[in-house]
Amino acid sequence: MLRSIPRFLLETVQRLPDKTAIVSRERSVTFSQLHGEALATAECLREMGVQSGDRVGICMEKTVDQASVILGVMFANAVLVPILPRLKGPNIRHIIDNSGMVAMITDSERLNEVSEFAEITKLFIGHGEVEKNWPNIPYMRRFLEPRMFLDRIGADNAAIIYSSGSTGRPKGILISHRNLADGTDIVAEYLGTTQEERIGCVLSFNFDYGLNQIWQTIRKGATLYLHDLALPNDLFALLAKESITALPVMPVIITKMFDRRLKLATGAHDFSALRYVCSTGGRLSEDMIRDLKTTFTRAKIFSMFGLTEAFRSTYLDPDKLDVHPTSIGKAIPDCQVMVLDEHGEECAPNAVGELVHRGATVTKGYWRDPENTAKVFRAHPRFPGEILVFSGDRAYRDEEGYLYFVARADEMIKTKGFRVSPTEVETEVVRHPDVVDAVAFAVPNIAVGEDIACAYTTGSGKALPDHSLTQYLKTQLPTHMVPAYLVHFDSFPITGNAGKLDRKTIKQAAFERLGIAPDVKDARAGRG
Amino acid sequence: MRDEIEVLSDYVRSESGYKGNLNPEADLLEAKILDSFSVVQLVMFIQERFKVEFEAEDLTRANLATLSNIVALIDKRKATAGK
Repeated sequence: MLRSIPRFLLETVQRLPDKTAIVSRERSVTFSQLHGEALATAECLREMGVQSGDRVGICMEKTVDQASVILGVMFANAVLVPILPRLKGPNIRHIIDNSGMVAMITDSERLNEVSEFAEITKLFIGHGEVEKNWPNIPYMRRFLEPRMFLDRIGADNAAIIYSSGSTGRPKGILISHRNLADGTDIVAEYLGTTQEERIGCVLSFNFDYGLNQIWQTIRKGATLYLHDLALPNDLFALLAKESITALPVMPVIITKMFDRRLKLATGAHDFSALRYVCSTGGRLSEDMIRDLKTTFTRAKIFSMFGLTEAFRSTYLDPDKLDVHPTSIGKAIPDCQVMVLDEHGEECAPNAVGELVHRGATVTKGYWRDPENTAKVFRAHPRFPGEILVFSGDRAYRDEEGYLYFVARADEMIKTKGFRVSPTEVETEVVRHPDVVDAVAFAVPNIAVGEDIACAYTTGSGKALPDHSLTQYLKTQLPTHMVPAYLVHFDSFPITGNAGKLDRKTIKQAAFERLGIAPDVKDARAGRG
Repeated sequence: MRDEIEVLSDYVRSESGYKGNLNPEADLLEAKILDSFSVVQLVMFIQERFKVEFEAEDLTRANLATLSNIVALIDKRKATAGK
């Protein structure tokens, strides 16, 4: 039987036509309305010449309309290409050119910025004012008699997600309908998503993790509450008022939620409905775990790990978080995650090797990039006929099989004859009571190979005297791991998906402040 | 009131790089002149500059999205200060 995102919506519409699907500040839609809007969007796109397999970009703020057009692109049998609204002109142009995008859907507020692309792709307005020169999808939907016409199979392309966080041009990761359907069911299985779920969505729909919240919702007939996190008290009020049961976040979102500089209204609300908080995109610090546990006393905390090339790789059983707080857990259902040495053999417990992923969520490779695809998407003699994702990430497994992320291969710091994981340094730095977040990286030093530098932020927003932080770290870390440079930041920039620390920019800014010529080598796509 | 608007406008313009005039009634988050990071910086700035302390109930989008709402909030906290 064909399983795909459009099919999931069709099934749920049969079952729960009048149930509320998505709620935002502006409006809400039932499954039947969402389905109607998606079909009419597909009709609009077809009217304007979009054909099966064509790439259609979406560059919009998170709204109910954005969700409708995302599904509309799929009902048009086209390939979804999310574009971060915050990207600058040259990067958008690269994505349009590289994907061969035939049409782009944007909002009326953004139209001025993107109208220069009208010469290379058709522009549609997916949300906002009707402007006379541009087809406005929400307006046109009212006049269309939608036809249902799905011609895609599981092996067809469903989406291309461009991954930021690397030097050079972002790479497009090609995802099949089967990948999306499998990823949806795998996540629903281990999180236990049901029809009763009320998902608080602070994530954007421009990457796999955010999109998966739409897929969970339509697969199970859950309800999705859209929220733009600006001030944490508004989110706390929403969680309580709507009895939110599920809250997917990222570490940077947790930091924003529990900003020490603000008075928080956590005590004023009842969060007993919240069943779980899940997080991916970086490790959870002890502070983050404590903040989540003391605020959301009934919620389970799922710490997860993945790379866009394979969507999701591992999650940690919430009951094991106290025992193995730094572990990324074990493989998700229907996938296997291995730690292999340079000969492709499984590493012994506690030996560091490369994290290699096999199974349902392995995507189709990099779009129009056979060279990079061949480097990361490879066969292994033990699994004939199969393609695995060789992540390039360094990891190890303990005696009980719990996995630990060490570093991306290109981030390991080689200092004084040691190989130091930035993660280990960062973990210790954020244990300092005044430090909120830390990013460690290498600074070239001919004398010792590389020195360790560490950028950090504090709860008060003020810098710590260098000697006091260094003194503290000397009591906690072996000497070779104590950073030679400490750089205070008021706050850390984050990457476009509003979730991950922008390590590249932080490193560059720190290099500037230290007066060192930038030398950023970082070629791989993003980690989730 | 005028002075407060002026001070806040100057701060927001210098932090955001926004060149135009700021309508005191405009929703600065909606207009993307402020984002989730800069709005918190703005709160810090106001507390220091106007010597007020915001309570948890004050720190909501509705209270902080427009300059005129911010001024109303500052005035409210000045009035309750020391009581």
